[in-house]
Amino acid sequence: MPEHDPQRLEIANNIRIGLALENELSADQARAYVRCLQTSWQVPTIQWADRDSREQLADARRLLHAAGVLREIEGSASTRAVDCYRRAGEIFEWLARADDKMRARAPIELFAAAAFQLGGLPAMANALLSQLPLDGAGSGLYADFLRADFDGVLAKVARFWRDHPDLTQRDAASALLREEAEDRIGWYFTVELVRALGLFADALRRDDTVRLAQALAKLKALDAMALRTFSDDVSLLVMLLHLVGQGYAAASIYRPVARLADLAPDRALRVIAYAREQFSRGRGILWSSQQAGLDRLLNHSSFALCTPTGSGKTLVANLALVKELLLRDHGDVVPLALYLVPSRALAGEVEAKLHAELGADLIITGLYGGADWGITDYWLDADKPTVLIATVEKADALMRYLAPLILKRLRLLILDEAHQVVPEANDSARVAFAEHGSRPLRLENFVARLLARAPDLVRIALTAVAGGAAGPVARWVENDPNAQPIGLRYRSTRQVIGVLQTAPQRRCTMLLDLMNGKPLYVQGRGDPVYLNLTTPPMPQLPGTMRNSIYRFNQLTVLWTALHLVEADRRILISLAQQPEQTMRWFKEALDLPAWQALPRFLPPEDWRGERFAEARAACVDYCGENAFEVVLLDHGIATSHGQMPQRLRRLMTALIDERICPITVATATLTEGVNLPFDIIFVTALKRSAYDAVARRMVDTPYTAAEFRNLAGRAGRPGATRGMEGLTLVALPTAVAASAPGQQDTQIGQIAGMASDYDVLREALRLDELAGDAAVGPLALLLETLRDRVRTHYRIATDEAFLAWLEAALPEDISDEAGTGATDPASRFADSLDELDAFLLTAIEEVARIDDGTKDGAALEADLAALWRRTFTFAAQVQEDWLERAIVRRGQAIVSIVYPDADERRRLYQYGFSPYVGRRFEVIAPAIREILEAATDYGQADAASRLARFATIGRLLTADRGFGFRIRDTQTDRRMLENWVDILGWWMHVPGAAKPEPAELRAWQRFVSDNLEFRLGVAIGAVVAQSWSAGAGDPLAIPSLEAWRETTSLPWFGFWARELLRWGTLDPFVAFALAQGRAKTRDDAVLLRIDYDAWLAQELDRPTSEDRIDPQLFLSWERAMPRGPREDFDQEPEAARLTGTTGGKRRYGVLPIAVDGATRWIDPAGYELARSDHPAIAFDASALRDDFILNTAGRPSVDRAFRSGGRR
Amino acid sequence: MHDCPPPADALDRWLTAYPSIKSKGRYGHLLLEQDCDCDADLIAEMRPYFESAHRDARTFFHDQMGIDLHPDADDPAAHATYPTCLPPITRRGLFGEVMAGMVSEHYELVGKHSWRIPVFLFRHHEDAEHYLFALARDGTRTRELFGRKGSDFIGIALAADGSVARAIVGEAKWRKDLQPSVMDDLMHGKLVKNKKTGIKARSGKGIWYQVNRDIPAPHGLRQLQRLLRELDPDGHSAAILSLDRLLSVRNATPLPRTNLILIAGGDVPGRDAQTSLIPWEKMPADYTAPHALQVVEMILNDGDTLIDGLYDALWPAP
Repeated sequence: MPEHDPQRLEIANNIRIGLALENELSADQARAYVRCLQTSWQVPTIQWADRDSREQLADARRLLHAAGVLREIEGSASTRAVDCYRRAGEIFEWLARADDKMRARAPIELFAAAAFQLGGLPAMANALLSQLPLDGAGSGLYADFLRADFDGVLAKVARFWRDHPDLTQRDAASALLREEAEDRIGWYFTVELVRALGLFADALRRDDTVRLAQALAKLKALDAMALRTFSDDVSLLVMLLHLVGQGYAAASIYRPVARLADLAPDRALRVIAYAREQFSRGRGILWSSQQAGLDRLLNHSSFALCTPTGSGKTLVANLALVKELLLRDHGDVVPLALYLVPSRALAGEVEAKLHAELGADLIITGLYGGADWGITDYWLDADKPTVLIATVEKADALMRYLAPLILKRLRLLILDEAHQVVPEANDSARVAFAEHGSRPLRLENFVARLLARAPDLVRIALTAVAGGAAGPVARWVENDPNAQPIGLRYRSTRQVIGVLQTAPQRRCTMLLDLMNGKPLYVQGRGDPVYLNLTTPPMPQLPGTMRNSIYRFNQLTVLWTALHLVEADRRILISLAQQPEQTMRWFKEALDLPAWQALPRFLPPEDWRGERFAEARAACVDYCGENAFEVVLLDHGIATSHGQMPQRLRRLMTALIDERICPITVATATLTEGVNLPFDIIFVTALKRSAYDAVARRMVDTPYTAAEFRNLAGRAGRPGATRGMEGLTLVALPTAVAASAPGQQDTQIGQIAGMASDYDVLREALRLDELAGDAAVGPLALLLETLRDRVRTHYRIATDEAFLAWLEAALPEDISDEAGTGATDPASRFADSLDELDAFLLTAIEEVARIDDGTKDGAALEADLAALWRRTFTFAAQVQEDWLERAIVRRGQAIVSIVYPDADERRRLYQYGFSPYVGRRFEVIAPAIREILEAATDYGQADAASRLARFATIGRLLTADRGFGFRIRDTQTDRRMLENWVDILGWWMHVPGAAKPEPAELRAWQRFVSDNLEFRLGVAIGAVVAQSWSAGAGDPLAIPSLEAWRETTSLPWFGFWARELLRWGTLDPFVAFALAQGRAKTRDDAVLLRIDYDAWLAQELDRPTSEDRIDPQLFLSWERAMPRGPREDFDQEPEAARLTGTTGGKRRYGVLPIAVDGATRWIDPAGYELARSDHPAIAFDASALRDDFILNTAGRPSVDRAFRSGGRR
Repeated sequence: MHDCPPPADALDRWLTAYPSIKSKGRYGHLLLEQDCDCDADLIAEMRPYFESAHRDARTFFHDQMGIDLHPDADDPAAHATYPTCLPPITRRGLFGEVMAGMVSEHYELVGKHSWRIPVFLFRHHEDAEHYLFALARDGTRTRELFGRKGSDFIGIALAADGSVARAIVGEAKWRKDLQPSVMDDLMHGKLVKNKKTGIKARSGKGIWYQVNRDIPAPHGLRQLQRLLRELDPDGHSAAILSLDRLLSVRNATPLPRTNLILIAGGDVPGRDAQTSLIPWEKMPADYTAPHALQVVEMILNDGDTLIDGLYDALWPAP
């Protein structure tokens, strides 16, 4: 090491500390950022002199210098260099976005992008360069290169060669140097740079390592030459291009993929093609978090990847699937992966992504069907590796049906959003235990059981950063107390959190409080950063609309949003609750005369217009022509909430994702893990209020930091949004809106309340950022809850006494109303115990099914202890001895005392309810079975008789609150329960059925989703599952349509009932057509039924009632349908004649350039190699996204070696 | 690295020097008049210094040109040789730069510092910077040139501990005939017609403007440091450290500096012997920068012959 390097390091590090600490801005930097924000929002800026610009520019150069020193001495992985590059990138970015004069002095936006790339923030580089206008074709080329848009580089390079055909001749370079012209060296340098960049982009995309090395060597030489011959700034740019190029070559996805391919050389080609496709999707260069993830994937099996949404986790998950399912040798077993997601919406997103990328190699199924096993479950007997994407609830139901079969095939478990296993340690979490609705517990429970049964299963957890969950999750999935999560240091976008101040007759102001979790302020003045919006003040609302401050506030948000979308921004208005009320408020406001001057929304005219029409039709189908949802959609406002029918929710999500609707109004269910492109999120409330019937008062539940963080994380998806930062603004009124003095007093209090909610949230966010590694496990929380209850209920104080109590306690001894959904403390206590029993009984029974019989004594104890060691709770927290003993002793009590009958335990397991509820359900199960058995005429019955079948089953559930229908303790809900058959008729699309008024719609939808889809569906599913198990002797038997009726002894109605409830139809064919994507609305499916009936009449002479709804016949009909033309036809090679090559290399990568009806085949370095004078295909610029090979062995011809898929 | 000492005997034979130092030691003037004809001996004696000055650039230029990206290219490309391949005007620019180095190293200049030129930067491709951003070779320049190209020449003086103590930075120009109007163009900028009045006046963007407005850490220093880091990190470790400080620390003590203006060119009939083109008795009023100034006037009789003879002679084929 050179003698003075230690001092050089010290100087560079001091610069880093002075200017570039992560998330700490100096006063000048904060001012630069604020000015940049003000410019991009087109509001007046703070005072700023040329000198300020010069100083910022000088600082950015200092940082680049320091980064260079750190990298030179510490190596290219220097994290301190990364800090310097990031901040340099930011300073350049802020100057560039403020449209600073410096943009004319130096290519600062290119410097910014390069610095972001070298700082490991490629999304920032991309976002910046995609929003700034660039001057000159060269700038455009370097910009594409610096944002890793290699297709773009090649398009620009091809244009250059088309415009300069003389430069594509074999001796063009030396001819240029032989010229007389004074400027020949300058032009020569430019041409060689274009050659190098084109070759680099093409070789990188194709993974032509030899030519990639050549291109890099050329870039290096050009850098060295520029250093000696050009000005500071130009040589800096060439140096940065070279460094960024080096980084790309090192981060190419081909590198890890090639190592993966070594696992199974016979599949290498397919895996490499996968990598090429990633380039086509703009994901060929791995982000640092992905590199870390893939590195772990290559060297280990199980791990936790801890990065925010939008940082490319999906790619890691995909390659894990490739590795475990496609590349590993599993002998005769067809491997299976389970991809657990927190919501059905996310299941849809993941399925679509996986299907697009791996659909040709794997069966990807989202398990959407209503049944636990249904028509979409063809994967079971397919011989293709399969990925099941499911919520925990769905996966759990499937396991009860098919555990032995699944465990035999399961090789990989992916836990998405795994941090959701951490419960909030609050009252609602405790109530959720009693109501059997705790998601964290369900997830812990399911995974622990799975891992106990399949300890060799490969596990990958994808988890968020903050909140302290990452460490415990890593220890859990790796089953190693020393495991560490990977990828912590990555943040893909800039997150800004603040306030939108609203007041009557005034323009709104944005206050920006937090940037990436740290306070943002202009130092020295202590002022918050604010932007006065130029949106005109909202016209004075009628008095009735102002009487509620909440209504006024929400309408101001809508008014502001409607103006902001003009600048192509995408906005989410996030609601805490009661979306139907907001939708009504919005509809009524949009009807006001003063709002009519706002620009009208026009659906796009391209394919997106068809998407819009499809979603609108589904909205009319499920909500009615006059529903608020339809009215808002016509104004370009998409809606989404948890009770919306699944199909409609997916269509609405597509409208948002494809940027068709600029504004979205939604509750938090939209954003649970789903990644949608929003620039701004307006939050209208920070808590939910509900009436607690036990306490007889309204109870507020504030947003937790995790909930809010998840929501805010949806703003500013990298590359998809307009700005560089995701803004989350809490709308807070600053003045009363009402005129009447009494109402004004109320509003003053409400305004203060909302402000205080925001202060509480900010503090929670601050603490959350600091949260270390202190997660609590759901099981511990449940056991602690029980211990506390025991202490107060029985005055039992010691742990030992509590354990003794666990060995004998029965729910019915605690409360007469155990298992009935009663809300008094004793019943909740009993139901919490039942929840613990559910965990234990399920685990014990699963073991018993596979090992053929229940163990007892020491063997059972060992099983229970092993189960305990697989829980998240065990990995998460400091171990208290009594927790494990509680699990073991209660588990033993279940077998010996609580549920001693093995047959009963098996049935209770099968039902899927918690055992005490299951025992109560068992009383009515035979009646449900009888109804199902009797429905042999369902296929030809009329609508009224069909509806009656469901109504009869439903009636068995109306009186019970344990397994039966559940409603809130309100008049509206009680009325709905009384008239529930009307709701059933409406939902099942019975002609002439009563319809909800728009204002009632959501209440009806909630009843459908809670009670018809869920509770009625679960009850029917439990009986069907029981029937299957009773009929199937072999637990490894694969369910099949052929054997279904015989095994269950049920008519097809049993097969379809749950599916019908899911789709809202009485006709199995309609459910089938919707599930298979054959029809877009229920009415479309009814029309399709005519085709089917005609087909059936030809196939069978006299179809029976059962034939009419036989899923096997449906499938035969579908197979007989004509197929669309194949899109990807095999193309004949294009004949060519050689014009610029000896052909000695036999294979040459080429690009097509169409000129005057001929195609010139150009080497990516800009040399014409061949021509096709009369090409069969006219290649346009889009062909530059594909790979072509010129074959010179034999008659020269050109083949398309890769065709890019996907839409831009 | 440039390591060849100046050809002292040849210089003394070739040129007669008239040095002066005025204005309290802040202004040096050196008039050099050609004393003997250029011949093969002179070229032979000058050649090693020129080859040394150009060696680094030649190596990298050749490396770059040697990489032929044509897919059939298997061997390093046969290419023109640097700097002999350079166009005539560029050659003359380079000659001025090398002479600036040679003069700085050989003669005692203002301040009597011991100047060294570890590596010569040759920045004579302004047009390339236009082409790079336009990707076109035509003369329509749609935008202002990015950045400043910086000074033509940069040398340093090292302190005893090896750190950089001072820099000499300047403009080195060659003109075939040094008439008064040519000198005016050089020093005060070209005549430009005022669009409103129609009157022609000097643009003001001449050498005086360049040397007066330069910033404390001269352009080119960053590049010089990067070259030292690449070429001799151990030998110049202390110099590299001192340049780090200068280039990256906020409010660093500015590097003491001498400005150099070297005008080389052909004599014209209107000039009397031993008469300078730029006044030598005291600091010219046009100069307003705070640093010491050294002016060098090199009046030659057959400069073109020398330049072409010299450049044609570099790196003779074996």
